[in-house]
Amino acid sequence: MSHRLRTWTYYGVLWLVSLLFFSPVAWIILSSFKTRNDILATPPKLVFTPTLDNYIDLFTRNTSFLLQLGNSILLSVSAVVIAVFVSFLAAFCFSRFKPKGTDFLMFLLLSIRMLPGPAVILPVFLMYVAFGWKDNHLALILFYAMFSIPFSVWILKGFLDGVSTRFDETGRVNGGSWFHVIFKVVLPQVKPGLIAAFIFNLIFVWNEFLFNFIIGGVTTQNIPYALAVGAYSDGGLNWTFISALTSIYIVPPVLFIYFFQKYLLVGMTFGTVRGEV
Amino acid sequence: MAAIEFDRVSKSFGQARVLDTFSLSVEEGSLTVLCGPPKSGKSVLFRLVVGLETPDGGTIRLSGRDITHEPASARNIGYVPQSFALYPHLTVFDNIGYPMRLAGAPREEIARRVDRTAAMLSIGHLLRKTPDKLSGGEKQRVAVARGLMKDASVFLFDDPLVGLDYKLRERLMDELKQLCETLKATFFYATSDSLEALTMAQTLVVVDDGRLVERAGTLKLYAEPGQVRSLELIGFPKANVIEGICRNGRIEAAGLSLPAPAGLADGPVKVGIRPEHVRLGRREGVGADARVAIVEHLGSEIVVYLDLNGHPVTAAYAAGHAAPPEIDSAVKIDIDPARAMIFDPNSGALIGRCAAGGV
Repeated sequence: MSHRLRTWTYYGVLWLVSLLFFSPVAWIILSSFKTRNDILATPPKLVFTPTLDNYIDLFTRNTSFLLQLGNSILLSVSAVVIAVFVSFLAAFCFSRFKPKGTDFLMFLLLSIRMLPGPAVILPVFLMYVAFGWKDNHLALILFYAMFSIPFSVWILKGFLDGVSTRFDETGRVNGGSWFHVIFKVVLPQVKPGLIAAFIFNLIFVWNEFLFNFIIGGVTTQNIPYALAVGAYSDGGLNWTFISALTSIYIVPPVLFIYFFQKYLLVGMTFGTVRGEV
Repeated sequence: MAAIEFDRVSKSFGQARVLDTFSLSVEEGSLTVLCGPPKSGKSVLFRLVVGLETPDGGTIRLSGRDITHEPASARNIGYVPQSFALYPHLTVFDNIGYPMRLAGAPREEIARRVDRTAAMLSIGHLLRKTPDKLSGGEKQRVAVARGLMKDASVFLFDDPLVGLDYKLRERLMDELKQLCETLKATFFYATSDSLEALTMAQTLVVVDDGRLVERAGTLKLYAEPGQVRSLELIGFPKANVIEGICRNGRIEAAGLSLPAPAGLADGPVKVGIRPEHVRLGRREGVGADARVAIVEHLGSEIVVYLDLNGHPVTAAYAAGHAAPPEIDSAVKIDIDPARAMIFDPNSGALIGRCAAGGV
């Protein structure tokens, strides 16, 4: 009996902690279905009449929402696709040809991610202004791709090292070109690594605010930008706007993380912990 | 014309010299077996031929064409690597058909050839599976099948049967031999198993430590090895080589006394004798005293490991003739002088056989 009690207590505490962590998310999602008065009511209203007005507002009255959503998708997907493609080729070279100083080069590659963003924002800003690249989609995509490459190379190199060079050799001996070896022989075998790199960086770019705000502009604004800029748009904190926008904003990452959890772990460990992937 | 020709080929990896001015020619249409202990440079030789390594010096020719620096993809050689390297993302069918698909062969032809080759290797029922569902032996046969798919005149097999069970190995050896005849192609085959080498080879090439020891017809090489290393490396159980000394026309070696070949100068020699030519206690009171260390029953054959005055000596004879000796018992051994081979201790070259005569 005491054993069952322990198990129940154990699960009870776990659920409690999990719910505690989930409560801000739950609050924002619930708020998105409340009127402004309901959101700000004290004591907080748990029973309320749900309304879709906030969402309708967002899609019909807010002129820049669709632009921001589109930008978020365009910027993150295209930057990460470019980054994963470039990283795959770079990681292939590191893994197969082992240029002199590979370890140091790999370290150097990662060093760009060792600085906090604000530390590099000024030189990057000056450069973008000088080149006339400010508020330009392509320029921002390239920046995000550049920022996504280091982790992707690390993740993919871990995977490529796990693919025996005997496979490459079989391809070459049977008349395959390097192109064939890289894309037809090796690439299919590191699909989990490609997915891991893709997801990992997609979440990063999706959540990126600082660079979008500084080197982007009105035409390239994404959802984090909208959240920061739109929060105070009508005098006080615009809670209905924040809650509705946030609720939409978290859907893609939540779905991705839910369906690709195992790849995310691979990404965080640079492909060294592969588990069942 | 030689199908494959190595002309003073050298190859080092860092400090380790794997091949040292290696020269060899492999005849067109022959089944040539390269036999040597592990790490003797067999795989490196093969990798040089298919183009996965580049030699540090020397020339490699394929049917007279210098291919030393030609890219691997241009060489058109059928190759079964030591590791199977089957693509995990392709089915067995696609793995076997891979070389043909890469060469742009039409779909029906690929299917026909794959089916035929798979049937020959008894893997027809596996074609739809992926390699991770196969046993080691099945993977090996798939790799052999893939190696045979190419429309090439030269095929290299780098120890393809290692680790397969005995029955399957025997069958595959026969199949490969037949295939070599039907295809009229050159088969160059590496193994570290001397029985496999003897079974397969028309021409046997013995390598050791990156050097060519000897190249000869299989029967000749077994009966009359020109080098003491060939004697040691080819044949099972391993041949006995005993250090001896020649004095006044007689050779003394570990208590055995043999007549020296005519004209042999006094000095140290190596005496080589195959286990099947060591006679065990046949003649009462004649021969050297030895002690039985281990007795192995191999079914048709009995192998007796002996201690002859501190020298290990192996004797083998057909089972059923005489009861095997007890372990630790004392026996008399003697050897037929006509079967004993005398080698130069420095160069390892064969000097001759002991003359017929008594012990």
